Amino acid sequence: MLECAELYFNVDHGYLEGLVRGCKASLLTQQDYINLAQCETLEDLKIHLQTTDYGNFLANQTNPLTVSKIDTEMRKRLCREFDYFRNNSLEPLSTFFTYMTCSYMIDNVILLMNGALQKKSVKEILVKCHPLGRFTEMEAVNIAETPSDLFNAILVETPLAPFFQDCMSENTLDELNIELLRNKLYKSYLEAFYKFCKNHGDVTAEVMCPILEFEADRRAFIITFNSFGTELSKEDRETLYPTIGKLYPEGLRLLAQAEDFDQMKRVADHYGVYKPLFEAVGGSGGKTLEDVFYEHEVQINVLAFNRQFHYGVFYAYVKLKEQEMRNIVWIAECISQRHRTKINSYIPIL
Amino acid sequence: MSGKDRIEIFPSRMAQTIMKARLKGAQTGRNLLKKKSDALTLRFRQILKKIIETKMLMGEVMREAAFSLAEAKFTAGDFSTTVIQNVNRAQVKIRAKKDNVAGVTLPVFEHYHEGTDSYELTGLARGGEQLAKLKRNYAKAVELLVELASLQLSFGLNVPLLISSQSWMRESEKSSIG
Repeated sequence: MLECAELYFNVDHGYLEGLVRGCKASLLTQQDYINLAQCETLEDLKIHLQTTDYGNFLANQTNPLTVSKIDTEMRKRLCREFDYFRNNSLEPLSTFFTYMTCSYMIDNVILLMNGALQKKSVKEILVKCHPLGRFTEMEAVNIAETPSDLFNAILVETPLAPFFQDCMSENTLDELNIELLRNKLYKSYLEAFYKFCKNHGDVTAEVMCPILEFEADRRAFIITFNSFGTELSKEDRETLYPTIGKLYPEGLRLLAQAEDFDQMKRVADHYGVYKPLFEAVGGSGGKTLEDVFYEHEVQINVLAFNRQFHYGVFYAYVKLKEQEMRNIVWIAECISQRHRTKINSYIPIL
Repeated sequence: MSGKDRIEIFPSRMAQTIMKARLKGAQTGRNLLKKKSDALTLRFRQILKKIIETKMLMGEVMREAAFSLAEAKFTAGDFSTTVIQNVNRAQVKIRAKKDNVAGVTLPVFEHYHEGTDSYELTGLARGGEQLAKLKRNYAKAVELLVELASLQLSFGLNVPLLISSQSWMRESEKSSIG
């Protein structure tokens, strides 16, 4: 592709970029979070949210207001925005959006597979599925008896098919532990997404590739950390690491041998980006590794908005919006459980 | 000492010996029952105290557990459906044993673990640490609940025993005075 996105990006995608920047400007600020944290009840929280861009989204809710209702409504709102973006997009932005939804689709498929195997009713599982990961063949899931049937009949039509084919042959699908399957699918997905961005070239590659590299390395670290003390063997663990990050190949090999947090920290010390992150773990605020990674993710997503004419703004917006939703749900839970000591542990965005 | 409490008796020496023996028997019976009632009262008080302590602790533990659920959801997202779908066998089970106090057997519940954690790999890529903490908190809550259950059961059985032993005592007091 020609290296001058400025000349023709706006022809196809200018309207949507303008729209997403407007949405980003309406994300909650630090002042908003401080106001929310001072609320005494969930009703107060609702009133405060009315003054933000959320407006009257909780207006039709019956009493009593619960945290899960707030969560569902916020998610519906995000889904509406996302569907609008998606419906108005042209290629290759539409493929980009499809890639973005694949991660939610993976979670939904795992949920459906599990439910189908246990002969649960499809309707109840469909309610629990993430709306962003909807795909047309979802309802047909209950006709399959085993995972391989499921794959052959249904999944082969979805965008997830190449990820399944990457992971394994059909017969192993039956014995595989559900969590291992989920992580293997995610690994293939990340690698495919990365290749897509890189091939697209231009500013999109410059912005998205570091974001995806960080996501890959973060997964490698977290999987390693969570597998200490479990039955997951080192070889199995290594098959779950995505290979698109800075850690590939030496870092991943070292990580696969790590047996505790300190060894992991020593691996991270070789990389300039990850050294300060690991040093921030523990400290005075009692931060966990995941908290530190979330903060870093928010920072690089905000930086994505500093450049124009690329698709990364859409990805960054959705991730930031999700973090905002998590923050609001956290504050709401602290308020409703009257456990205010950690109410300020949300991750501020702007 | 008139009226209904009078026993009709023929005033002979044998009758007097028999009455004295009866009196002695009633007094011994009353003392034994008093000892039993005292032991039960003591145990009763101990159990009551323990129940109050455990209930207060229970409030704290449940609050902590509910909060750690919120923390886990913050980091790991919504894992509730995955957890509910994968339930197959119980990991913590209860055995009922008999305990003997002052001649009375009371049941006591004891919990034991069986099998491995089927949710070991949940949250592998996100939120595993918080999930582990969550599992620990709720396990503590379950153990406390089991303890509370056996305390309340023994409390519940204790009370009628105590009442009946005290009423027998009064009966024997009446007959010994008479």
